[in-house]
Amino acid sequence: MNELIKKAAELLESNVVQIVIGYGKGSAERTRTIFITEASGCDQLIFDSRCIQNLAVYLTKAEIKKLGKPAIVAPVPVLRSILQLASENQLTEDGLVVLGVTPESTLIEFESFAAIETYLASHKIEIDEKYQKIIEGIKSMPVEERFAYWVKELEPCFKCYACRAACPLCYCTRCTVENNQPQWIKSASHPLGNLEWHVMRAMHHAGRCTDCDACYEACPMGIPIHLLTKSMLQDVTENFGPYGPSLNKDNTLSSFKPEDKESFIK
Amino acid sequence: MTEFEPKIVAFVCNWCTYAGADLTGTSRIKYATNVKIIRFPCTGRIDFMLLLKAFGEGADGIIVSGCHPNDCHYTSGNFHARRRWIMFRGLLDMLGIDVRRIQYSWVSAAEGAKWADIVNTTVNAIRDLGPYTDYAKVAGYLEKEAEV
Amino acid sequence: MPEFSGILFLSTSLLTVKPSCMSKIGVFICHCGENISATVDVVKVAEEAGKLEGVAFSTDYKYMCSDPGQTLIKQAIKDKGLTGVVVAACSPRMHEPTFRKACAEAGLNPYMCEMSNLREHCSWVHDKSDATTQKAIDLVRTLVEKVKHNKPLYNIKVPVTKTALVIGGGIAGIQASLDIANAGHKVVLIEKDPSIGGHMSQLSETFPTLDCSQCILTPRMVEVAQHPNITLLTYAELEKLEGFIGNFKATIRKKAKSIDEKLCTGCGLCTTKCPTKKIPSEFNTGLGFRPAIYVPFPQAVPNKPVIDKLNCQYYLKGKCKVCEKLCPTGAIRFDQEDELVEMEVGAVVAATGFNVMEPSGFPEYGYGKYKDVITGLQFERLASASGPTLGEIRRPSDGKIPQKIVFIACAGSRDPAKGIPYCSKICCMYTAKHAMLYQHKVHGGESYIFYMDIRAGGKNYEEFTRRAIVEDEVNYIRGRVSKVYEENGKLIVKGVDTLLNAKPVEIEADMVVLASAAIANPGSEELAQRMHISYDAYNFFSEAHPKLKPVETNTAGIFLAGACQAPKDIPETVSQASGAAAKVAILFSQNELSREPVVAVVNRSPAPLYSTCVGCFMCATACPYQAISEKLITDRKGNVIKRVAKVNPGLCQGCGTCVAFCRSKSIDIDGYSNEQMYSEVMALLNND
Repeated sequence: MNELIKKAAELLESNVVQIVIGYGKGSAERTRTIFITEASGCDQLIFDSRCIQNLAVYLTKAEIKKLGKPAIVAPVPVLRSILQLASENQLTEDGLVVLGVTPESTLIEFESFAAIETYLASHKIEIDEKYQKIIEGIKSMPVEERFAYWVKELEPCFKCYACRAACPLCYCTRCTVENNQPQWIKSASHPLGNLEWHVMRAMHHAGRCTDCDACYEACPMGIPIHLLTKSMLQDVTENFGPYGPSLNKDNTLSSFKPEDKESFIK
Repeated sequence: MTEFEPKIVAFVCNWCTYAGADLTGTSRIKYATNVKIIRFPCTGRIDFMLLLKAFGEGADGIIVSGCHPNDCHYTSGNFHARRRWIMFRGLLDMLGIDVRRIQYSWVSAAEGAKWADIVNTTVNAIRDLGPYTDYAKVAGYLEKEAEV
Repeated sequence: MPEFSGILFLSTSLLTVKPSCMSKIGVFICHCGENISATVDVVKVAEEAGKLEGVAFSTDYKYMCSDPGQTLIKQAIKDKGLTGVVVAACSPRMHEPTFRKACAEAGLNPYMCEMSNLREHCSWVHDKSDATTQKAIDLVRTLVEKVKHNKPLYNIKVPVTKTALVIGGGIAGIQASLDIANAGHKVVLIEKDPSIGGHMSQLSETFPTLDCSQCILTPRMVEVAQHPNITLLTYAELEKLEGFIGNFKATIRKKAKSIDEKLCTGCGLCTTKCPTKKIPSEFNTGLGFRPAIYVPFPQAVPNKPVIDKLNCQYYLKGKCKVCEKLCPTGAIRFDQEDELVEMEVGAVVAATGFNVMEPSGFPEYGYGKYKDVITGLQFERLASASGPTLGEIRRPSDGKIPQKIVFIACAGSRDPAKGIPYCSKICCMYTAKHAMLYQHKVHGGESYIFYMDIRAGGKNYEEFTRRAIVEDEVNYIRGRVSKVYEENGKLIVKGVDTLLNAKPVEIEADMVVLASAAIANPGSEELAQRMHISYDAYNFFSEAHPKLKPVETNTAGIFLAGACQAPKDIPETVSQASGAAAKVAILFSQNELSREPVVAVVNRSPAPLYSTCVGCFMCATACPYQAISEKLITDRKGNVIKRVAKVNPGLCQGCGTCVAFCRSKSIDIDGYSNEQMYSEVMALLNND
């Protein structure tokens, strides 16, 4: 941990970066994101198992970009998001400094995105068993029951779009839901609008989501929307092979293989 | 009570399925009236939100059809569409939206008879499944609120 | 702590005026004689259409596409000031251009006209009923709603550079170059070998006329070299191809010949004095030798040598330099570098030809193991007067003249198990030719051909093969060969005669010739990728349509000629080359290309947003035509504000795949826009 604080302070001191994005003490027993601009402030940085926020979401925000070159504290979920953003042309290697951290709070300095990809090769995305069981359970319900289950689950959604705000991959300047010519998704909170919003969100994440659960953590109503993205992740692996952010492989949806197989097209 | 006649929208590509449906017409092969075609330049153009919108506006069934793999007029539009449909179908299935109500097919410009077959089979299948009341209930929520 | 303003809201128009208030659409329902009116109540359809909001005029008529029908439309446009037209009639694939032209003539932008298919998709496939009429009403309503969101579009003009690049200097490339040059356009012909001529220059005689191949080819080769419109670059390859139809930028790598071509007179002294003489000659298919500084064959064009860097004593060990010392004009340039040349061209013709497979994958035939088992192309060199044996058929092993020779047809082709299921097309004919040449040269010699079928479909081809059997007494055995092995200096060929009830046949031959498969050249896959053209599983280049577009590729502006597309004989190659040249001439016949404006556009708006595009370029990865590239939006000082996508309207073919991919809906396609398709879906299902 001390290594991390030292390195962060060094970077700010030498003006290599102008802002450090990391985790700090929050209210009660929680942690929150902190933004440090002075070297002296770096000792606020902490890292432990409570640090679940996905900090990569700040890298694409205009307000942060204005402040200068950032250094970002990056546990594995954040590293995955950084790599995915890099493969989508949103980040440049010399535009940020990545301070990787292991669960034991050891610092790993990454020189390049390729180095991150090599590191992540030994931290492949795996859906937790407990979620696999839940998804299986839902899929085993008959269709009508399943539909009723989801309409009920999505009922508390009041379209706050916190899930969108928390997701590092939702960096579009104008979201589809803000389009009113045509109005693709009704913005009010009612069953159709909720369903359409979550379908669209999940589809836009197909082949991109890095399973960080930030959307679920952000939802004030505790709706398990991450089940949808996890189920999509399973579909991608099942149909198109092992899956993870990569600089070399094309995005799942925007590439194809002539031998892609399906069973449902006549 | 009048027998339920399903409302089915067909999203087809101009170069293969639309032409195939034209051939069905020139060959005077008869099929059910329930299916109405919307013309796209390529299956790659078909936005998945349009399918959802169709259900929301009262469609009981959907047909999506294009060129066979390797035959796309634009080389690869149907390959991209195929991947999109695989993912979309998986998502709909997870959500409990009835994927039996969406029929995907490859119909080439020479397969006039196949188009008629797809239409008739789909119409019968949807007729058996009945009107898509579950979705209509969700979609009609606002109107119900307005009535109150 | 910074404030988060959330995601920017963009209003696409300050006045959300409902489009129908501004629309004055004309709806024209066609009876099509009785084709539509027999099953659809066209009068009712016209009535219902007239009630739709935004429709200013609705009528029905017997034959909309006829002269009076079209006049009806034009008159209505003028009288009612129509802003859009829907013609409900036959399939748009039939008459959309007709009605669009009529609208244009009346002063309405042609892209404001749409057609609703009431014939092929309705009246012809349903019985007369209320449901049929209702369907027609629904279909018309759908297109009316679409047209409300149509925008006037104007054909895109793209300039054309009237220079063609022909890749490959075989007969295909030569023919294409001559035709294009004679049409008055400039041609750059590049060939990777030191001389043009290709495989045709290796042939001794051609079927079915037994013309001397070099005699009919060399005049063309000389014509190419001397033609004022043709720039010939040999020992050169395509390094990179960028751009699009009418506007390509090609980078050519001129490999270092180690010769100053301006000084070299082609005297050939260097080739006689080179100490490294025993390099297997590529032109003689390994049956003869050449020196390290060499001209591939005596009739080479250009007739100037190149130095083979891989085998030259100077390049390997820094020694020798005999050629430099002896050259009377001082033309040798050791350490010459490859040169990269960029040029602008408007069209590309791929004429890179084919290769003959080495049948070493067939151990049963003994190729590579026994010196006297050779390929058809090698036999060609033996028979050739300028070949390693000066036209005498001699065994490579001991130089004796073979008295018994066995030809094996289909050695590699038509064999799914070995990966080549296709027929190589030319082997039946050239095997017959080889047998005939052998019989002419070796009186009293016996020749046998083991065949599966005799494919002789061209003009005079059947007569030619009959001649071989009847006049030259070539023995045709219908059956396959299971094994070739050596015993007592003879090659034992074990086969079977299926026309004699699978009777086993054993022949003690002096030489075996394998008609091995015609395959794509090595490096074809990379070349196709460099040109962004499609290729099939065998690395032959793909034509745009197997029947109707055999000389075009799916990449606009790139054409195909010859065996690089599929194995073919010389007459077909020459025809296809002229066909490709005609396509190029069509392209060059105008100064500007006019294209249909159904293309994708990335949205742009004023500062500070500039575009809702976030530069993820997923659209670019999905585009099959490389029509989407990066655009840097900069401020006056040149600092980059934003990277967005930009569509090249000259390249975009209008498939719309990018539009369906864009998560932020920043890219749209004119003619099938998001608004248009959305309103079609909505209108189709709502009859209120």
